[in-house]
Amino acid sequence: MKHATSFKIFGNALAFGLIAVSDGIHHPKLFAIPVVLAVLTGADALRPKPRPTTGEDLTIVRQRIKPTGWRARVQQFFRPPRRLHFARSGWAFTGGIFGIGFAALNTANNLLYLLLGGMLGLIVLSGWLSEQALRSLIVRRRVPRGITAGEPARIGYEVTNNKKRMPTLALEVREAGSGQRAFMAGVAPGATSFARADITYERRGIYLLVELTLATTFPFGLFTKERDIELGGTIIVWPRTDRVVRPPMPGGTRARRMGSLAAGAGGGRGEYRGLREYRSGDDPRDVHWRSTARLQTPVVREYERDESDTLWLCLDLRAQPGETAENGVEIAAALAARAAAGGERFGFASADTEVQAGSGAAQLDMVLDALAGARFRPDAPRVVPPAAPSECVLITTGDTDARFGDVYLADRGGA
Amino acid sequence: MKLRRLHRRLAVLMCMSGVIAFLSGAGLDSVAAVPTLFALVLALFWQASPNATIRLERVLLGLSILLAGRALYHVFFMPDDVVIPMADLLLLMVGAEALKSLDALNDGRLYSLSFALLIASTAYRPSILFGIAFLAYTALATVALMVGHIRRQVERRGLREPELARSFLLRMAALSGVALAMSAVLFIAFPRVSRGWASRTVTEERAIVGFGDEVSLAEHGGRIYANPEIVLRVEFPDGRPGPSQQMYWRGRSYDHFDGVRWSHSPSLPLSAATTPYAIGWGGLATIRQLIYALSLDTHVLFGLHPIFAIRPRSRIRPFMDESGDFNYFGNVPPVYEVESYAGKPSPERLQRASEGRAPAADFYLQVPPLSDRVRILADSITAGKATRYEKVRAIENYFHTQFGYTLELPATARQATLEYFLFRRRQGHCEYFSTAMVIMLRSIGIPARNVNGFLGGDWNEFGSYLAVTQNRAHSWVEVWFPGYNWVRFDPTPAASETGDRNATAWYWPMRFIFDGAEHRWDKWVLDYDLDKQVDLFHRAAEQFSRPNETGTGAGHGDTPFGTAFRWLIGLIAFGIVLAGARSAFNRPRVSEATRGYLRLRRAYERAGYPNAPSTPPLTFVRALHEAHAPGANHAEKAVAVYVHTRFNNEVLDDYRKEELKKEVDAARKELKRSRSKVTSDK
Repeated sequence: MKHATSFKIFGNALAFGLIAVSDGIHHPKLFAIPVVLAVLTGADALRPKPRPTTGEDLTIVRQRIKPTGWRARVQQFFRPPRRLHFARSGWAFTGGIFGIGFAALNTANNLLYLLLGGMLGLIVLSGWLSEQALRSLIVRRRVPRGITAGEPARIGYEVTNNKKRMPTLALEVREAGSGQRAFMAGVAPGATSFARADITYERRGIYLLVELTLATTFPFGLFTKERDIELGGTIIVWPRTDRVVRPPMPGGTRARRMGSLAAGAGGGRGEYRGLREYRSGDDPRDVHWRSTARLQTPVVREYERDESDTLWLCLDLRAQPGETAENGVEIAAALAARAAAGGERFGFASADTEVQAGSGAAQLDMVLDALAGARFRPDAPRVVPPAAPSECVLITTGDTDARFGDVYLADRGGA
Repeated sequence: MKLRRLHRRLAVLMCMSGVIAFLSGAGLDSVAAVPTLFALVLALFWQASPNATIRLERVLLGLSILLAGRALYHVFFMPDDVVIPMADLLLLMVGAEALKSLDALNDGRLYSLSFALLIASTAYRPSILFGIAFLAYTALATVALMVGHIRRQVERRGLREPELARSFLLRMAALSGVALAMSAVLFIAFPRVSRGWASRTVTEERAIVGFGDEVSLAEHGGRIYANPEIVLRVEFPDGRPGPSQQMYWRGRSYDHFDGVRWSHSPSLPLSAATTPYAIGWGGLATIRQLIYALSLDTHVLFGLHPIFAIRPRSRIRPFMDESGDFNYFGNVPPVYEVESYAGKPSPERLQRASEGRAPAADFYLQVPPLSDRVRILADSITAGKATRYEKVRAIENYFHTQFGYTLELPATARQATLEYFLFRRRQGHCEYFSTAMVIMLRSIGIPARNVNGFLGGDWNEFGSYLAVTQNRAHSWVEVWFPGYNWVRFDPTPAASETGDRNATAWYWPMRFIFDGAEHRWDKWVLDYDLDKQVDLFHRAAEQFSRPNETGTGAGHGDTPFGTAFRWLIGLIAFGIVLAGARSAFNRPRVSEATRGYLRLRRAYERAGYPNAPSTPPLTFVRALHEAHAPGANHAEKAVAVYVHTRFNNEVLDDYRKEELKKEVDAARKELKRSRSKVTSDK
């Protein structure tokens, strides 16, 4: 970190110095101005980068996003709207400038001054063109409905170049705080290009996406210029659903039905209730074709279900955030996935939220959404079972409740 | 065209520019230059396959080792120029890299090698061709670096190549003007305080016939051919003088003639060096000349005679020798300012000159062993002439009227003698006339000497200077007059063939334009120094501060240039203001409801309830409730109004406006109250 900071400070000093020299500032006292600026702006490397929020500290979402305090304000004030990093070739080029400059002074050879000016001119041109490349761009983010923790998520970026003549070349887009970048070789004037970045979130949670960083090495690859743009968004990271868990046994009756109810199996339906829009995972045999043809959108029949067929997953949030609590979330996710795969009707409840009973993939998504946002704290209220406790499954970190039909202890995994 | 092929061609063209820049300085001294150019032309259309590249590398490796050994040998054991052996090695590498297969990622090497050639050429004094090559190099480098960078990025990531329109590439090349402008600004403005701590500038020195330590009459057979190479460029800081055909650019004088050749006597006393100060020239007007001369092996400084001041402008050290000729120390092309008297004393004044004895008269009365016929001829021509001036004029006139001028040399060595010229051939070139006159004057006791230099010149309108070519080489006579020192006489008949032939040549206007450009290059680039820098800035400052003499300018005391500049600045400022106003006008306006809502959010943020910009309004309200923030209920009502108006796309009517304002104010009041309560509790 210290090395990175000193490099950054040195890099900025060099960059400002070059600008200062090219502006004709030769007085040593005046030269101190860009150096001080460089140190101040380079010092923002000392400030921790905004860390992606995780499930265990979701409160961050409602806490400090912008830095506060005088130091942060000063840094924010001095933080340049663009950041410049030297590429390896940029270091070599800059070294060459110093070499030619020294040679020109040493020999008083006018042609060397000409070459020196040409090299500095290329740097100025590089700065101007890279600035043009980063301007007049409209960026849209394409985030999947939900992604699973530990698996790479493909986030798409759609960049429209609103410039009239100038293409944007060698553009990188990345989320602030993430190392993964989406690269676009070029966006023609007035055109839109699309690129993806594979980002892996290790922990479930609801992540706020605040800023995007646009970067380009255009035109010569000597420097990387970066610019931040505010682009709010949310990404829901679901817990893993592949944890091995034993079948739930609430009320002794569930055991008979578990695993025997395939999607749409006969006898699984109650009274006809009405029509509703098709949701992912619905049995295709339930599609009401006549209404579908009339409304031009898939419509399915919905049936009353016997409440005793519903698997209620109750998550106890009274726990310290940590690995054990996360185990509980994953057990609940695995149970929900298992129920969805079996075509079962299931619902979810915690102290903070309740997902009405349903079935299919869309129901699983809703439960996983709720699990992604689950916030553990020791003072959380006790979970209230939405049905008879004996028909519900409790997932807890330790405080068992004999009223529930089945209890999963988070510290024992799925057993 | 594929990116990689386009990129290679651009890099090869960069290398060609580098080689041409090098050739403009070193000429064809480097044996590898021409083969390298051929290799580069070949590389524009053909590249070796990967297998052939490996074989090519093996062959070139041996050659490179040989050339590297040669370079090292020159560095350590030879006192001569080390740049050429190094450049040979460099050129070989350039050619080899350019011919490699397109797969080779050697663009960085091609850039570096071509740039090294540019640097190597600065060790010389390149012609304006360097400037042209530099312009081309910068334009090509701008495009090549950009294309190369895109190519590398695309290949590394396995992406499809983007379309690079030709118009875009041309625009990029045109944008190199920015780099060139920067180069020009730095070049002009960077203070040239250094005079070179360890400089090395090799300048080729030219030898011109007739300007060595000896001048011989013995050449025979053939003809003197015209040589239009320019040796002097003369500017007149006080304005263009009259006709240039009578300007004698004096170089060297010779005192000793052995019958065949002229030379300097090594024992000439210092007293022979006379100056024109405080003597008869005093009443004449003066003329200033700024002379840019070619580097000659004799290190002579030319100028109109008599010179009474000489100031170096380049790194040379002028000095006057025993005969009063001006020479210099230094190895750079001499640039110097000369002040001389214009014309020569009037005949009446020279008539009145006394018959005094010249300093070192023995040297200037020396006559070779010739037959008496020469003295008798001189006596017969000057018979009856009372004064020295009349005698000199009589002999001068004798040659003007009785002899002819020819560039044909005598056919045999026997005919290449002074006596054969005087009594048989009676025609010849200027050396014969000046020699004959000097010897005849000396034979009758008048001190005289032979002088070489250039006569006249061609005015270059394009560069406003007088171009003196080698065709203008001339020889004349100086005669000693007490009180006036050495006075010029020219016995050569006026029928000179050379100057007129130049002026009427079909290519001459083109040559003038090219020479004018070359002169500007030398003056403003190669020889640009602190003096010129200061002078340039003074002149620029004068453009702004000089009062308007005509009084017709827009502002009192303004120059037209200054007025135009002020207008330009004003227009730019107006443009900036206009652009800012337009941008502000086009900025999406925030509705009143949004303004109220943002006010509320800012109030809570300041009170220690920060929220991310992306937090939706209802989440914001929920967060306030969860945090038991004071005024949360008012905030909720305000947000409800905002959401209703904003997302139903409704106009905020007066009632809702009032409601929004009331709720926001109430929330802020509660926030304020809670803060003051916390403060008082403390």
